[in-house]
Amino acid sequence: MVWLPLYALVFIVLTLYWARAAALANGNHETWFSARHSLPGWMSAILIAGASLGGLAVLVVPQTLASNSFGMPALLQAGVLLALPGVVFFKRIWLIGQRLRLSSLSELLRVYYRSQFLAIVSALVAVLFAVCFAGLQIRALGSVAAGLSDGALPLEAVSLIFAFVLVGYVVIGGMRAIGYLGTIQSVLGIAALMGITVFAILSIGGIGVLNEGLQALGSDPATSALFAVSGVIQFTAGLGREAAAGHEGTVVANLSLAFALLGMQASPVILKVVLSTSSARAIAAGQTWVLAGAFGALVVLFAGALGAAGLVAPNLTVGPLLSAISPWFSAWAFVGASCAVMVLAGLSLFVAAEALVRTLYKPNFHRSLSTKGTVALARIAVVVLALVSVLMQALTPVTLSALAALALPLAFQLWVPLLGMTWVHWFTRSAVLAGMGFGIAGVLLTDVAGLAILSFLGLDLPWGRWPWTVHSAAWGMLANLSVTILVSLFTQRRSASPEAIDTRRFLGEFLAPSDGVQKLRSTAWSAVLAWFFLAVGPGLVFGNFAFGAADDVWITGIPSQWAWAMLFWILGLGVIWFLAYRMEMASPLAQAVPPHAPAPTLPPHEDDVRFVERARLRALVLTGAIGFGLAVLIALAFGNTGVPQ
Amino acid sequence: MLEQSQTKVERAILIFTIWASLGFLGLGVFLEGMARDLWALSAVGVSVIVATLVAHIIVNAVFKTGMSRGEATLGIGLYGFLGLVFIASTIGGGMTPADYYAGLTLFGTLAVGFLVYLVARHGLRGAFSHFHHHREMQSNDS
Repeated sequence: MVWLPLYALVFIVLTLYWARAAALANGNHETWFSARHSLPGWMSAILIAGASLGGLAVLVVPQTLASNSFGMPALLQAGVLLALPGVVFFKRIWLIGQRLRLSSLSELLRVYYRSQFLAIVSALVAVLFAVCFAGLQIRALGSVAAGLSDGALPLEAVSLIFAFVLVGYVVIGGMRAIGYLGTIQSVLGIAALMGITVFAILSIGGIGVLNEGLQALGSDPATSALFAVSGVIQFTAGLGREAAAGHEGTVVANLSLAFALLGMQASPVILKVVLSTSSARAIAAGQTWVLAGAFGALVVLFAGALGAAGLVAPNLTVGPLLSAISPWFSAWAFVGASCAVMVLAGLSLFVAAEALVRTLYKPNFHRSLSTKGTVALARIAVVVLALVSVLMQALTPVTLSALAALALPLAFQLWVPLLGMTWVHWFTRSAVLAGMGFGIAGVLLTDVAGLAILSFLGLDLPWGRWPWTVHSAAWGMLANLSVTILVSLFTQRRSASPEAIDTRRFLGEFLAPSDGVQKLRSTAWSAVLAWFFLAVGPGLVFGNFAFGAADDVWITGIPSQWAWAMLFWILGLGVIWFLAYRMEMASPLAQAVPPHAPAPTLPPHEDDVRFVERARLRALVLTGAIGFGLAVLIALAFGNTGVPQ
Repeated sequence: MLEQSQTKVERAILIFTIWASLGFLGLGVFLEGMARDLWALSAVGVSVIVATLVAHIIVNAVFKTGMSRGEATLGIGLYGFLGLVFIASTIGGGMTPADYYAGLTLFGTLAVGFLVYLVARHGLRGAFSHFHHHREMQSNDS
């Protein structure tokens, strides 16, 4: 039992060493928030891939496969799905960030749309990622550590250690430390997943034995249905109200889950890395080869195999497996798995603290706060958020899980304002704001947290979580996009902010498509739609039997849905390459970006009575909203709200 | 100046990442071989460690530099310390033949690898002069 504490201690010391190195490179507090926009492209590429896929690949995908089999194969396409928004948005967002000299999504939304509401939504999403989404993953690792130490280390102690390390490096080194350590953590996470998978396969007796076990499960009438998607759609009332026939993994469940995954790259957490990068040169390579290629392979091959091993032998999931192998390996693998989770946890803590202080507190409550004061306050916010997460992990795990489930669907709603900013310039400000409101309502009304809150307030809706087996992300987007398009049609005459007008003109001139790109446009649309249809859409029905039905002979020796996923991962990689390079959506840029003049700032102080009154009203409304939110959260956490699972 | 220090940090991160992922894995496989009394498994661990060293040297080549003083000190220090542990264990007599051969494989391979690195980087004569010059300079100083 000496190996785990030894490895953990070495890891903590080295983490703090790199935090110090980052602080020295920062020089002063001025660069704490953005690392002087100087993160190297290769570092950002690895950091983005690690933050968006690390925890998913090590914990979520294997666990889902082990418990639900291959009914949700869309998860296996996570690499390609996450690279797609990267190709669509990153280059343009980076350019806008450079043009307006801004370094966070909240600031971009506030300046472009002149909207405090969108900035608050962005901050809220960041907080959900920091406190709940990452907190839930840390809790899962805490259980593993408690098992490894035979209960000597309670879950709460592990959570506290995690929080200490995270707070340590984020507070000391800021964005630069996150960049440095995120790179190391991402690679360690990959190595750990590969190692754990190899141990699982060796423990079961090799790939042949694994496939025989899967074949036996496929032939068993009790479990064979789990190897296929259960139809296109089932009109059930949703989880907690009415169970689907067979299982919940329908085609629309897969497709809407894919939409939820698309939310990750539109979140303020990932876009912070993009906006802190020194150049856009590595975006195409990062999204194509690192995320869709290397990390995509990791998910479809290694996480897939680990999940399959857990399906055949329940003692081969991450926790029990680490307890069974040699202590030096289990210590190394545990530290690696922790790293995979910590990449996102550290980054989201930082982004949430920044959003709360720079986007909410400073403009509304304390405009004269100096940069030094802002950094100090953000550091305090990091500590507070980490503490809240630890407390929620220990005291209110159900609420933590319910709120964590909102992070991805709400982040997906940010697609609409991002589309308006980068591609669809006829989306108007009022349409985007209205759409976002409806989108949030759509998510809350179809996910567990919203239903629980309404139930607490005495309103029991006739449906449960994800009605018709459609994920809340898709319900939200349906409402969001419909309202945005409709309202945009009627509000075209309203003028946009000067920054928005300049950004549109600048993007139009700077990224004018070549003739070759224009000719390929229809091909690109066709390729993307065909991939979506076949890889995560209705085409999954073909995947049920394309390589042999569950109870039949498997042509490739592995379940048909798994082989289908591998095939479409390769084709998806081709689609990403095509979009990134041939369509020049993420291709490198040669020219320097001229800054917008004058630089956008907060609206100046005015002494007239109306302005002062408006500022007071804004502060009052914000304080009331925060107070109400906290009251609802406390009621949700400690009141008997009957949260449907 | 800023760019230089940035390059230095980037290289250090790469080196650290390589050793933390591959190096520790190699160490684990090596120890597993000793625990199971399987020389072949320990030899696989040694090859992973050698592969890590090769990756380190490739990174050095990409960044057009050699081992830093700190790296060399840490490497030689660790080699010496582990060598002492190995000798002490051999004298103590608690080692099986597989453990003994595994240890010899590790230390022998690393020693040969170190010499090959010096010769490849500085040439046969240069590798020798690397130490020889130093002594000459010391004697001149005195």
